[in-house]
This record gives sequence, structure tokens and C-alpha cells, in this order.
Amino acid sequence: MIELRGIKARQGGFTLSVEGVTLKQGEFVAVLGNNGSGKSTFLSVLAGLRNYEGGYLLDGRDFRELPPPERHGRISLLPQMTTLNMPFDVFYVVLTGRFIHTNGLNYTEADIEATEQAMEALDITHLRERQFNELSGGEKQRVLLARTINKDTSVILLDEPLSGIDILHQHDSIRLLKDLSRKKLVMVVIHDLSLALREFERFLFFTGGTLSYVAGKHELEEERLSEIFGVRVNFLRHDKGILVYTEGR
Amino acid sequence: MISLKRTNLAMAVSASLLAVITVIAVSKGAVEIHLLGMTEVQRDILLYVRIPRVLLAGLVGASLVLSGTLFQYVMKNPLADSFTTGVSASSAMGAVVAIMLGLGPVLPVFALAGGLTGLAAVYKISSVRGRVQPITMLLAGIVISTFASATISLMKFLSDDAVSSIIFWLMGGFQSASMGKVATLAGVLAASFAVIRRDYLSLDIICFDDTTASSSGVDVARLRRKAFFIAALLTAFSVGYAGIIGFVGLVVPHVVRLLRYVKAAELIPLSLLCGALFMILNDLVARTVLSEGQELPVGIITSSIGGVFFLYLLIKRKKELYYFD
Repeated sequence: MIELRGIKARQGGFTLSVEGVTLKQGEFVAVLGNNGSGKSTFLSVLAGLRNYEGGYLLDGRDFRELPPPERHGRISLLPQMTTLNMPFDVFYVVLTGRFIHTNGLNYTEADIEATEQAMEALDITHLRERQFNELSGGEKQRVLLARTINKDTSVILLDEPLSGIDILHQHDSIRLLKDLSRKKLVMVVIHDLSLALREFERFLFFTGGTLSYVAGKHELEEERLSEIFGVRVNFLRHDKGILVYTEGR
Repeated sequence: MISLKRTNLAMAVSASLLAVITVIAVSKGAVEIHLLGMTEVQRDILLYVRIPRVLLAGLVGASLVLSGTLFQYVMKNPLADSFTTGVSASSAMGAVVAIMLGLGPVLPVFALAGGLTGLAAVYKISSVRGRVQPITMLLAGIVISTFASATISLMKFLSDDAVSSIIFWLMGGFQSASMGKVATLAGVLAASFAVIRRDYLSLDIICFDDTTASSSGVDVARLRRKAFFIAALLTAFSVGYAGIIGFVGLVVPHVVRLLRYVKAAELIPLSLLCGALFMILNDLVARTVLSEGQELPVGIITSSIGGVFFLYLLIKRKKELYYFD
């Protein structure tokens, strides 16, 4: 469980501010907002990669007091952009996600087995021997998603994990993340409003660096969303759920 | 696992080659020595000249390669080694200062201080948010190297008696080898290797960007400091004992990488063996290619052999193996 009270994180002229929010295991949370609104900064504060002021409790303990290995043992982060400058194959890239479970010296049989499973879950087993850097954007994204899941922590933070992934694998990935969120806290930065409304139960909206709106699926209002995104947001209701239709200014 | 077998085989092959080359290298030279049936003079040459020299060449080769590999890891930059980062030249400057002050016995300490200062300057100039920009690093390395060389030349100008020993730092070579130096460098190299081999998995992970590496659970800042220090330490001792020898730390790890040994657990031990092999071979050529016991500076050989081989592999396989971003 993550409890935040009066969080502020500054970088240059930008300030992230979160008045207060509590996020629990078992929640599948979408993080939304325009570019530069603070979504990625928010995730990196949660992952312990950025200094902050204010109160952040992770499973009831002050996050600042947790030694780094313990923090990283509880939280996984898939950053928006990942670069790799060594020609590792796909299997090894996914395997490195298990680092926190090792003694620092060797990966065990259990790590290899977990890696096989993560690869199967993301349908990338056939890419096993390929060089990571040779893959297409969407394939890379699936490999990195497998790598993140392979870390197997109770909190999973994903910054635009679906970007570049084809529709077929978007569906698979979302289903997988949803399954994981039954036992874990899974937070996903996403731009596709229709997809978000269809799949997620809870929503965090950021505007200008501030967590401005926290809502459950059924509390969402068109007016509020229109304000947040600066476009006219319309909900088109149909028998399978809600489609979002937006009109530019 | 298949890759492990392949690595072990490669290790066995390079270790055997190293043994063979070592035997050839100690028997060849201005005086040919037949290992079976030596005269007394020949045995003295073997024990006090040839063996220390060949061993020192091997150890310096391995040390420069380990330091180059570490620079490439922590700077996330394939062009980094002790030479291109200016660490060699600043170590040489430190060494020359020690000589000028008449502090020869603590020369490696001065070399290390010089090397660390140069490294700090280059790193500070060329890093943007923890990532070292390749072009800026090369430029900064050139500036630091030039400055260090100018300082060495100035000291040479100011003090005539130290001239010959000072020129040695700039040219590089193994003429001054002794068993004492061999033992010291062997100790430094063994300790460095023992420390860094515990970080193989982390070194692989810092090949990702810093955010990915940190959130994977690697203490990036700490590993970077540790690797920088070890790389500078190995450079300082190498330069202190053999002067500035360029190119080895850059070429050897690349060649091993191009042969598809890309994980630290394969890349580092194999590079060490190949570095020793490469340097012994170069020194052998340097001291046997001219007639009547004349010697070429070993740096000329390292640059020519290394350069040609590197170029060949680079042109043939660059597409599949080099991605800088």
C-alpha cells in the first residue's frame, strides 16, 4: 500500500505536487494527463529515483527510511524510454529483471524459469535469441514489459507500456496486467482514454504538475475531463461500455 | 548452457595461446635462448631480463584492457579507455612529478593522483545527467592529454638530468621491467579482478540507461565510483611501470565483443587473457623486428596491429553490434 501526504518534488522550474492519495494492492490504476503534467515524475518519485518533500509511506513504513535494496525489492518501474548499449539477446534482457532476487553473483534455475514464464506471458518466446536492439519498437516494448514483470514486486509502475504495441498484443498485455493487479498494485500511464475507461477501475489525473483529480470509473465526468485535457470530451455510451470521442479546440 | 561451454572453450583456447606465446617470447630476442641446455649467461638473461619483461608486458596488457573495459561500462561509451579519457597522460604527469621531486618509490601514488584528477575533469566536462557524451568525452580527453603532455615537456625542459627517464613515459615500453614490478602489478591486478568479478551482473545492468539500471536494484552511483577507481588504479600502475601505451584497452574488449562475448562474465575474463596475449606479442615484435638488438617503441606496434584488426572487424560487423542509443 502506498500513502502519500503533501508530496512536493522539484526539478528546475517544474514542481510536482500531490496533496494526498492512498493506493492499495489489488488496484488497477490509470495515470492520465497531458504531456509535461507530471505523470512520469510522479512514478519516479514513487520508485525512489527522485528526491521529494512530504510523507510517503510504503506498506506503513516511511519510504525514506527504507534501504534502497528493500525499496527496489518492492517496486518495479518501466520507464518511458529504455536504452541499452550492449548487444544482449532478448532472453538475457528479460533475465536481468531478476537481479534483485539474486545474490548479486549468479542467476539461478528459478530465475531462468521465471524468465521463461514472463516471456511466454508476453508472447515473445520466439524472439529469445534475437538481439534486443534489432527488434521493432513494439517488440522491444513487450520485452521490457516482460523484464519489468519478471521482477515480481508488489507494486508495478509502468510509464506508457503500450506505446507502439499492436492492438492484438495491447489486449494481451492489458489482460495480463489486470490479472497481476488482483494481488499487486499496478499503475499505468496511458493516453488512450477509451482504452483506459474500458479497462481500469481507478484514475489519477495530472494537470500542470499537480494531481488534480482522483476518481473511480463510475464517478468520471465529461466536464472535468474536458478541463483537464483542454479538449471537449464526450462519452458515447453503448451496450459494451463507454467510448470516448474528443473534439479539438 | 551452450553459451557457457562456448565461453569456456574460448577461455581454454586463449589461455593455451597465452602459454605458447609466453614461452616463445622468453626465448626470442637479441640473444636467442634455447630453454633446454642454457649457458649461465643465457640463464641470467632469462631470469633477470626476459621473464620479468614478458610477464610485465602481459600484466600491463591485462591491466590496460580491464581498465578500458571498465571505462566503457561506466561511461556507457564504446570509445572510452585510459588513453582516450586522458587518464594515461595525467597518470604519466603524476609519475613525472614524482621523479622531479625525487620521490621515485611512491611513483604509483603520484600516478594515481594524476590519473584521478584527469578522470574527474574529463567526467565533469563530458557528462550530462550521468551519461557521458562520446564526442565531448573525446574532446575533453584530448584537452587533458595535451595539457598533461605539455606539463611533462615543460618539466623535461626545466630539468635536464631527468630527460631520458621522462621520455620513457611518453613513448612507453617494458625495458625497465623487474620482478618487483611484476609482483606489485600482479597483486594490484588480482585484487582489482577479485573485486570487480563480484559485479558482473551489475555491470551488465548498467548497460541500460540509469533509470532502468537503478530501478532494477543496482546502486549505479556506487558501482560507477568503484569502477572508475579501479580503472584509474590499473592505469596508474601500468603507466608507472611501462609509460603510455595507447589503443590496447580500446581494441581488445571490442574484438572480444565483436566475437559475441557480450556479458561481463564472458567479456571481462576473456579480454584480460587476450590483453595479456596481445601485449606480449606486440612487445615481442617490437624487440625482434629490427636487427642487432635495436627496439621499436611498443606503442607503434600496438597501434598498427590493433588498428588494422579493429578496422577490419568494425567495417565487417558494425551494423549488427553497435548501437549507441
